[in-house]
Amino acid sequence: MARSRLFTLLAVAGLAFSACSGAAVTQAPSSAAPAVSTAPAAGSAAPSPGASTAAGAPKEGGTLVVGLDGDMVYADPSLISDSNSSYVDAQVVQGLVGLKPGTVSDVIPVLAAAMPTVSADGKTYTFTLRTGIKFHDGTPFNAAAVKYNYDRWKNFPAGPLQDNAYYYGAVFGGFGASSNIASVDAPNDTTVIFHLKQPQSNFLISQTIQPFGIQSPAALAAGDANNPQLDKNPYAQGQGGVGKSMVGTGPFMFKEWVPNDHVTLVKNPNYWDPAGMAHLDQIVFKPFKDQTAKLQALQSGDIDFAQTVSPSDVQTIQSSGNLQVIDRGQSCNIGQISMNQDPNTKGADDPAGHKLLQNKDIRMAIAYAVNKQAYIQAFYAGLAKPADNWMPPSTQYYKPENLPTYDPTKAKQLIQQSGVPANQLTIDLYYPSDVVRPYMPDPKGLAQAIAQDLQAVGFTINLKSEGWRTGYISDEEVGKFPMWLLGWTCDWAGPDNFLLTAFFHYNGNTPSPEFAYRNDELNQTMTAALAATDPTQIQALWQKAQDLIAADMPTVPLVNSAPPGAAAKYVMGFVGAGNLTEEFNSVWLNK
Amino acid sequence: MLRYIVRRVLGAIPVLFGLSVILFAFVRLLPGDPAIAILGQHATPALIQQVHQSLGLDKPIYIQYIQYINGLLHGDFGYSIINGRSVLSDFAHRFPGTVELTIGALIVAVGIGIPLGRLAARHPNGWIDGTVTVISLFGISIPIFVLGYSLVFIFAVQLHWLPAAGQLDPRIDLTPHTNMVLIDAIIDGQPAAFVDGLRHLVLPAIALGSIPLAIITRITRASVIDVSNEDYVRTARAKGLSERRVNDRHIMRNAWLPVTTIIGLEVGGLLAGAVITETVFSWNGVGSWVVDAIQDHDYFVIQSSILIFAVIFLMVNLVVDIGYAYLNPRIRYG
Repeated sequence: MARSRLFTLLAVAGLAFSACSGAAVTQAPSSAAPAVSTAPAAGSAAPSPGASTAAGAPKEGGTLVVGLDGDMVYADPSLISDSNSSYVDAQVVQGLVGLKPGTVSDVIPVLAAAMPTVSADGKTYTFTLRTGIKFHDGTPFNAAAVKYNYDRWKNFPAGPLQDNAYYYGAVFGGFGASSNIASVDAPNDTTVIFHLKQPQSNFLISQTIQPFGIQSPAALAAGDANNPQLDKNPYAQGQGGVGKSMVGTGPFMFKEWVPNDHVTLVKNPNYWDPAGMAHLDQIVFKPFKDQTAKLQALQSGDIDFAQTVSPSDVQTIQSSGNLQVIDRGQSCNIGQISMNQDPNTKGADDPAGHKLLQNKDIRMAIAYAVNKQAYIQAFYAGLAKPADNWMPPSTQYYKPENLPTYDPTKAKQLIQQSGVPANQLTIDLYYPSDVVRPYMPDPKGLAQAIAQDLQAVGFTINLKSEGWRTGYISDEEVGKFPMWLLGWTCDWAGPDNFLLTAFFHYNGNTPSPEFAYRNDELNQTMTAALAATDPTQIQALWQKAQDLIAADMPTVPLVNSAPPGAAAKYVMGFVGAGNLTEEFNSVWLNK
Repeated sequence: MLRYIVRRVLGAIPVLFGLSVILFAFVRLLPGDPAIAILGQHATPALIQQVHQSLGLDKPIYIQYIQYINGLLHGDFGYSIINGRSVLSDFAHRFPGTVELTIGALIVAVGIGIPLGRLAARHPNGWIDGTVTVISLFGISIPIFVLGYSLVFIFAVQLHWLPAAGQLDPRIDLTPHTNMVLIDAIIDGQPAAFVDGLRHLVLPAIALGSIPLAIITRITRASVIDVSNEDYVRTARAKGLSERRVNDRHIMRNAWLPVTTIIGLEVGGLLAGAVITETVFSWNGVGSWVVDAIQDHDYFVIQSSILIFAVIFLMVNLVVDIGYAYLNPRIRYG
């Protein structure tokens, strides 16, 4: 990270623009959801892991300074799709449903009083809302407010508002007439009815992410939130203080945003759920695009909490007397050896390599040749698990697939069985030169280790690299590379988000060019699963989809990692989640 | 003098025009696509096209350039494609931070460099001179980011004497008036904020000031030695003037000239160094802003911010040249 950033720095200093542009830690937008730690209707509170009980009753008050991976983008959660904004928004806005704290796929009612009733045809969702909740500007939360928000998103005009409201378009298939939401009704204060055009089995889990947080209609109107000229949109720019921007119902209220310097949230003293009342008076989020600078700020006491740290720093943090590593446990991502089997891809860099990967024995040989456990020790500080599927175990409808484990002898047998002569086992392996991702903290090191393992069983691997934003993503998306390192961080932990959106979707009747993996039965199964209405049938279809992929091994899953964070030891009561949807209302300072 | 200034200002126009063309072309030659920077792995051909349309990147390049120049002439420097903010307002917001850092670095460089150079010149080739030479060579050769991270490691992480990052403890509430922390602290009468701001400034100012410090030390030393060997200095000594009077009146007054020149030249260098320093210290200035813009492929911010930098650089050079004429009556501009 530091290296890539300095690389860019040096380039700027010399105005040597041409060859380099390191990307920062901009993670793939991670799912996040306004969970309520102790929503009475949602069952029990999620206790912090040991910390608070060990240190006695939580202390009230104080300011927590959190080091974020980058700055917030807009103060209107409806307009964001990045993980930094989501992290802030999760403290302030809440949706009808959310995630149980500490989990990535346990959907619970938040502003809804209970999970909705769904019609038999899967097209009508009826929510009953909690009563007595007020927005941070003092106006009441009710069914009309929910309708106002969903109608607002649907009617965003083409241009900056639609461009930024990525998730509404992605989840509902577009805006206006293209949206799968036909209408939202609010027959009384506590009832909201969604009418979908087609059943959509990912409807509930997709609504747990921050962009679907409900905001005060009065504040949105007063702040000119629908002004498409976003620099002149006071609501989006976070101007005016408490009750003027990011006006939700959560345990913290937005107070101030000094771009690139800090975002300040203050405790909501009138929070609707007494059990979820914040202990802290204030949270300040400070952006650090550089991981080294963030760690040093934590070590020197400038910040109390680092949202993420590099796995290579975990040992330093563990050995420090006053810091603790945040182990998020469950993963919500996957890193894999991606493969493209189409030698006719325009601009294919290694047609013979693409062709080689059409041979299933070769793909299986690669799956047996890689030593996932060794990579986890070397590059992930042990904070990852070998992947046994194309989605992490925390995902809805997950099924272990018993994929091949490290067995070089078996790999050699499969190569022999494939009939490919030894001198034709040459293939390019690409890695991104200038980024780290949670599922790939050291792309070059990982690529070298994989190349070594593959060469040990008889392959000849040419390692190649490109800059993430300077060709890597655009080239891999059109299928230029035969084999490359890439993965996915969940938007929400549903199978559709991994298997369909991230990987094996079709464009019309043809497989997406990224993997060029044709499996019509898989495509039909996934489409049917998304449109299914019966929970048992949804589960059966998604599990069938996983089996179909496993039988083909179109790519080789490597790891599911839990991105580590770090905090001063006096930070208590924190509940981490693998998708970084984390609420600070349970946090308190033991000092 | 007025004619000189007018000529210099007029002369800057073609320079800036040429730069605008080069920047515009460079930004578009950058490998990669801003739509990918916005959409990342969510990019689909349809979404990419939609973003291109919104940003006007689907238009022919000469049309884009004409629109850009037309905007500039009307005071519109464009908008960030990442966060929609206007380039000019972001610049206005962040430039004071860079000014504060640069002044801090200049104080370090001049405040330490000149006494150090004089000290070395007093005993040329002695052990003091040798030590000063080693220090200044170190200052010139060590990259700012290495020095910056080392300073943070020693004084913030290990010794906890000074903060590692930022301009002010986030726990301190200070209303931004000028966006210069020290000035804002004075305006608001907050001594605690002033002290904290000063503590935050120390390490970055040393890191950024290291190179000019080394150069100023070397030039001061050379200049003082040079002047010391002049006949009039020998004469002054022969007249029986006190050593202090010789130093102040006869040596330093003449030795100042090359030193002031170099200080002026270093101001431009400090702006460039601020790019790196601000990133190492998470300093909210225009340097880290440009780095972020390049990483994000934020076209309009890159092309406009560097143009603004160029204008400032030219202005600083002009001011330095004019100041130089005042300091040295032997120089006159026609």
